[in-house]
Amino acid sequence: MHRRVHRTVFRSRAGSRSSNWSSPTSTSTSTSTSTASLVTTSCAKKSPRTRKPVSTNPNTRVAIAMTAEQNNVHNAEVSVVDSLITESSTAQDEVVRLCTGLIIDGQLPLLQRQLHADFLKIPMSFKLPPNYTGLDASKPWLIYWPLQALGILDPDSLTGDILSRIGPSIMACLNETEGAFGGGNGQISHLAATYACLNALAIARDEDVWSQINRERLYKWLMSIKRPDGGFSMHVGGEEDVRAVYCALASAALLNIITPELTEGTAEWISRCQTYEGGIGGAPDNEAHGGYAFCALASLCILGNPVEMIPKYLDVDNLLRWLSVRQYQPEGGFSGRTNKLVDGCYSWWVGGCWSILEGALFGITKEEILWSKADLQKFILCCCQSPKGGLRDKPGKSSDFYHSCYVLSGLSEVQHRYSFSLKLPGAGSGEWSFMWTCELELPDVVMVDEKNMVGPINPVHVLPAGIGERMHDFYAALDAVAA
Amino acid sequence: MPLAYLSDYSWDDVIPIPQDDGGENPLAPIAYQDDYKTATGYLRAVMSFEEVSERALQLTADLIFMNPAHYTVWTYRARLLFALKKDLEEELIWVEEVGRQFPKNYQIWNHREVIVDKYDNPSRELPFIEEMLELDSKNYHVWSYRQWLVRRFDLWITELAYTDRMIEDDVRNNSAWNHRFFAVFGKGDDVSQSIIDDEIDYAESAILKAPQNASAWNYLLGVLKCAKRPVSEIEEFCNDLAAVQTTEHSVDVDTDQITSARALEVLAEIYDSRDEVDKAADAWTLLAEKYDPIRENYWKFKKSQAIHRLAATA
Repeated sequence: MHRRVHRTVFRSRAGSRSSNWSSPTSTSTSTSTSTASLVTTSCAKKSPRTRKPVSTNPNTRVAIAMTAEQNNVHNAEVSVVDSLITESSTAQDEVVRLCTGLIIDGQLPLLQRQLHADFLKIPMSFKLPPNYTGLDASKPWLIYWPLQALGILDPDSLTGDILSRIGPSIMACLNETEGAFGGGNGQISHLAATYACLNALAIARDEDVWSQINRERLYKWLMSIKRPDGGFSMHVGGEEDVRAVYCALASAALLNIITPELTEGTAEWISRCQTYEGGIGGAPDNEAHGGYAFCALASLCILGNPVEMIPKYLDVDNLLRWLSVRQYQPEGGFSGRTNKLVDGCYSWWVGGCWSILEGALFGITKEEILWSKADLQKFILCCCQSPKGGLRDKPGKSSDFYHSCYVLSGLSEVQHRYSFSLKLPGAGSGEWSFMWTCELELPDVVMVDEKNMVGPINPVHVLPAGIGERMHDFYAALDAVAA
Repeated sequence: MPLAYLSDYSWDDVIPIPQDDGGENPLAPIAYQDDYKTATGYLRAVMSFEEVSERALQLTADLIFMNPAHYTVWTYRARLLFALKKDLEEELIWVEEVGRQFPKNYQIWNHREVIVDKYDNPSRELPFIEEMLELDSKNYHVWSYRQWLVRRFDLWITELAYTDRMIEDDVRNNSAWNHRFFAVFGKGDDVSQSIIDDEIDYAESAILKAPQNASAWNYLLGVLKCAKRPVSEIEEFCNDLAAVQTTEHSVDVDTDQITSARALEVLAEIYDSRDEVDKAADAWTLLAEKYDPIRENYWKFKKSQAIHRLAATA
């Protein structure tokens, strides 16, 4: 099978398209070379099999009109159904009812880009209402989620003004003695907060702020919350789980401070989190869960060459099986656990697992996609778009920044095919998570309307492609000079 | 500054530290209620000089009711409780109130773990866990906490019966099934073959109630694998549920009689393990075309994997 179109290499190289990521205030639209627009353009030009939208009205909500079969979606309810009713089946039936009410055979809605972008810009334009107090210990996330979502939906909307406000907003969460970040000003250092802060700073592309990070202190703090069994605690005295491992490793990778000491025993600890179901739990013995599965896989992609690490530490056959069962018919979306309901956020958590496995285990999966991208696209576009703007868990729920981030990241995963590539220049240990490339997905896997395109992401760091690479390169260059 | 935060204690001597959201125009500022704004101002102040006092403890309680997800407050509170040598039983009772008011909050579970570990007494725990699981029978953090508790205080004896009750309530409660697996295998001791037999029977009878139930199937296959018993042991069981009609080289299904697509999948694995690839391929094709079509790509992948393996060994 010939793979078409433009290959996006995340890492910007001197002199080649580096304008993508070089200027923190690049807002020029005439010369816009954001990856999203590059990909969209090449898709339109080089993809003769992409169908033209039926309507010429740009405001139409329907992008593609074709039968379910042509579009490769499974709208029919499953043929073998149990008659026993329990709490789980009642909840499941209700979700099927809500979703099928929005899934119309032969029609795929347009992504309401402007509506979603307007929603995502709320934290940049207004004070959030008092009911956001419950997220007062998740300030870095309230900053990162919309930035990541806008970064792939509408990168040009991240103006110089917005980018310049990231640094001060994030540095207000810094605890100087530890070099790590809390969930808000004056809050104790926390791994999830630190991860979200560093991701937001990566998007800010502000080298002055990057220079202010005290990596030696942060490294010491990371070592102080490392547990003897190889895992990490979320904070001093906090819970130990695979999220903490991922947040610690992703942060350390961005800052180029990964050492054998930091990672000793960690892959073995992750391995213990795989359950009899094939999925991965938050800690050994815990129930298999899509979010933790992503954290585990992404962590292995940071710890070493994923081509070797994943089969070494996980039972891949059992994991593939469990992942494949996450997709539900007729909804098309993913659930996070066995017998739980589909939720838009797993479009990323589970979809991201697929990105990584497809990209790293190319030898196992060959050119195959083992799940239905068309059905996930259907679920996202039909069921996860809130009419008020923003993306949501499922019909009947309100949109929020968390779901907007991970549903759009999932849509990006539908539209792109990732591969791990050792051959990129500068390959070496500590850089494993920055060796991912991507291409547009083939139209015989999923028909994508060019109006619905979002940009590619780094599937390990959940950042717009090229963003984390740039931050890592900044520190790697500092370390090269020091050495 | 609006002093909307009401407290039994005097705060006159403390200068609250206002929140600095960063810069003149920070991202994602929140329009806090006055009482929260004032209380967090005092929190930053007392934490900055590590005050250990009754009023600080009261402050943490008040803040937790305003924002139970404030992990910093919980951490500070645990430190205060130990430093002030507070009655830990009373603390557990108070946490139960918080749990009832905020059933989705998960910070309480880490806090409770810290307290119970120190208190070294699990007697309040199982009833409270049960109460919380009645509100949400799949609450991830509650089940995780239960596992910690069982290990910490060696409470294995109650667990099988408890999961049985939960599974009785909802045979599709996967958290309960996961906990059952933990109850049987988590201790790390050798599990006798008679217990394995019991668990296989248990899972099979659950499957017969709802043959498409993935939780019970995953458990059954997990038990077999953990006990190193061959999947072919359940071939007859699967034959009935999938209503298969086989010849030496082919498999078909009685469309009106099949009650479990998973049974057909397991049969495909069994055929494949015996190198009966023709039959396995038929089963996978049936799954792809009719009984589990959304996983069409996965079934095709299984098929091509088996064919390639056969070609390589031939």
